[in-house]
Amino acid sequence: MAWPSIFQRGTLLSQFSHHHVVVFLLTFFSYSLLHASRKTFSNVKVSISKQWTPSAFNTSIELPVEIWSSNHLFPNAEEATLFLGTLDTIFLFSYAVGLFISGIIGDRLNLRWVLSFGMCSSALVVFVFGTLTEWLHFYNKGLYCSLWIVNGLLQSTGWPCVVAVMGSWFGKAGRGVVFGLWSACASVGNILGACLASSVLQYGYEYAFLVTAAVQFAGGIIIFFGLLVSPEEIGLPGIEAEENFEEDSHRPLISGAENEDEAEPNYSIQEDKTITQVKAISFYQACCLPGVIAYSLAYACLKLVNYSFFFWLPFYLSNNFGWKEAEADRLSIWYDVGGIIGGTLQGFISDVLQKRAPVLALSLLLAIGSLVGYSRSPNDKSINALLMAVTGFFIGGPSNMISSAISADLGRQELIQGSSEALATVTGIVDGTGSIGAAVGQYLVSLIQDSLGWMWVFYFFILMTSCTILFISPLIVREMCYLMQRRQTRILSG
Amino acid sequence: MAPRRLDSPLSVVPWAAALLLVLSVERALALPESFYTCQIGAGRLRSHWRGHNIHVRIVFSKMRSFPGQDLVQKFSGALFWRLVPRGRNASSSKPDIKICIQCPGSVQNLSEVALYCKQTPELMLHARCCLNWKGTILGLDLQNCSLKDPGPYFPQAHTAIIIDLQANPLQGDLANTFHGFTQLQTLILPQDVSCPGGINAWDTVTFYINNQTCQEQRKLCNSTGDSEMCPENGSCAPGGPGLLQCVCAEGFHGYKCMRQGSFSLLMFFGILGSTTLSISILLWGTQRRKAKAS
Repeated sequence: MAWPSIFQRGTLLSQFSHHHVVVFLLTFFSYSLLHASRKTFSNVKVSISKQWTPSAFNTSIELPVEIWSSNHLFPNAEEATLFLGTLDTIFLFSYAVGLFISGIIGDRLNLRWVLSFGMCSSALVVFVFGTLTEWLHFYNKGLYCSLWIVNGLLQSTGWPCVVAVMGSWFGKAGRGVVFGLWSACASVGNILGACLASSVLQYGYEYAFLVTAAVQFAGGIIIFFGLLVSPEEIGLPGIEAEENFEEDSHRPLISGAENEDEAEPNYSIQEDKTITQVKAISFYQACCLPGVIAYSLAYACLKLVNYSFFFWLPFYLSNNFGWKEAEADRLSIWYDVGGIIGGTLQGFISDVLQKRAPVLALSLLLAIGSLVGYSRSPNDKSINALLMAVTGFFIGGPSNMISSAISADLGRQELIQGSSEALATVTGIVDGTGSIGAAVGQYLVSLIQDSLGWMWVFYFFILMTSCTILFISPLIVREMCYLMQRRQTRILSG
Repeated sequence: MAPRRLDSPLSVVPWAAALLLVLSVERALALPESFYTCQIGAGRLRSHWRGHNIHVRIVFSKMRSFPGQDLVQKFSGALFWRLVPRGRNASSSKPDIKICIQCPGSVQNLSEVALYCKQTPELMLHARCCLNWKGTILGLDLQNCSLKDPGPYFPQAHTAIIIDLQANPLQGDLANTFHGFTQLQTLILPQDVSCPGGINAWDTVTFYINNQTCQEQRKLCNSTGDSEMCPENGSCAPGGPGLLQCVCAEGFHGYKCMRQGSFSLLMFFGILGSTTLSISILLWGTQRRKAKAS
């Protein structure tokens, strides 16, 4: 087995400075906070729909209008729920569009400013959406929709920026395992959001929004004062300088404009100014990078399945097995747990192999099996939780890996090395395509479930997972060939 | 309206109050009478007291031999009273309340409203109303006003304890007219108009030659289990004669009574602000201080 040079030199941890730790934690929590405010919205939905509707309670006693039915934004709870679902879809689409844009912006401006601005401004929008409208008793559907569109655009600055920052601090060698651990931030954010929201919900839903928005705003300020976007900022060598270039076999895939810049010696430590002046690649160029389109499409299919689990699992459990909603909510955490472990473990294996596609392929093949298994889960909570964790391991794991570690690989690949800042743009493209897939998926799942039943939803998931494998199959073939080749040379030389 | 939790220990209260009354009257009699007058207060509790005034009468009958009994009778019906120097009770401000002046004239001299108002030195007559020192309507005398209906300003009198509508050609059902009149204890109506809420809404309905009186609203909330009658966090409360309403249960407030307690903004932002400041300074010092400006 070929261990990467980083493992040979010593343990992974020993080469990390306190800067690495702080960057890891700051990016981790900044994305957690962004995700927490999203989770808050889904956790206070019941309260909001109560606030927006008159009371439907049937009694002989008089219900004073000012207490029970002064708000007529929606005639009943069903329509309010429908509108809240629409807000979710609007958010996902504007988030997806925003990802494409903010990746490009992130590469051209300072990542720290973009991230800090994104967090603070999105916190303000959430504050206006949830708290200010309630304090002023101003309820308006149009305002809610437009605020949520703006929120989606602003929230989308988060992911490309944090992945780009992480990508510039953590080299490719240890990236799989570090990013696997790090991509738990979304799940941690969900738990954080749920805790914050439930602890203040008794004072009114507006305080749930206020608290998450205020904490997110504070996070934005801390990011502004504390985040170092790259090692070069404090004169440390960039990770490219340390990395060995043994994987240059397919270097001249793209020839032309980019190659001219490659001659520039950008990564000598003394020439700091050149780093801030590096030209970001265009959106089109980023799309043309090998692997970007393939992984984007694959991620669209996989994120569809992953987010469907995220959104629909509690509903499926309470619907299909008749379990209580709070219990179903708690059980569905096991899917996240499986995803975190899967992401970390698979990241580690891919680090050792130095190739990610074969690991993905194997995991996705097993995911199909686990989906079949899960769809036939007996009505038993512990068996179901176990199957859920296994499914999370094989679906959530690869999903986390594509969105973080592989995105960072793609944006840092040798082709554009030294020539441009592409990390945020590439991350934006991959995650943006994925989010479009997720948004479409939310709609499709409800449609399929409604007309064909839950079993077909699982067949649909299996189809989507197979599509994921199909999209990355060229990469699998290529990387498998490389692994074989390396093995043969090793055998020959050994 | 009165808080519900006062209902249960109430049977004890009249006895205690009666004792207090006796003791206090003795004390009052020891004082130079001309300098003191008695103030009736605690209007919220008045209705509870009224419901049990039979106990008070027993005390009064025992006290008949006491000197100065007319003084005691003057304050009958009051639960709490205290001695205040004379002259402090008159309030000069007379708010312009439309319901009081919509019918010309003033409170009839011998009417129930006038009697009620004169019983209590704190109260004063203003046009057709009897007001307390805050300007709240406690009595309303609209007799002989040629009213077909009480008119648009009538809800202004929702705080009234006594209302006289006799000698008016009133028409139709009055049930909704008295919506929100939770304090109303005595209502005098023309004979041909039935008591709002029906006979069951009142403890006593008395017919006279020229009028009828509806006395003491019944508390309907207790008779029926109110837990299922109101939405979540709501509780039953009187809403006027024969009417019930759902208000927020104790501790709940806001729209649909969804909110509980109040959020301490100052503490939250204090903690968050100081934490943010200290982490920012710490990170700036350890991380970004050496960073090149970019």
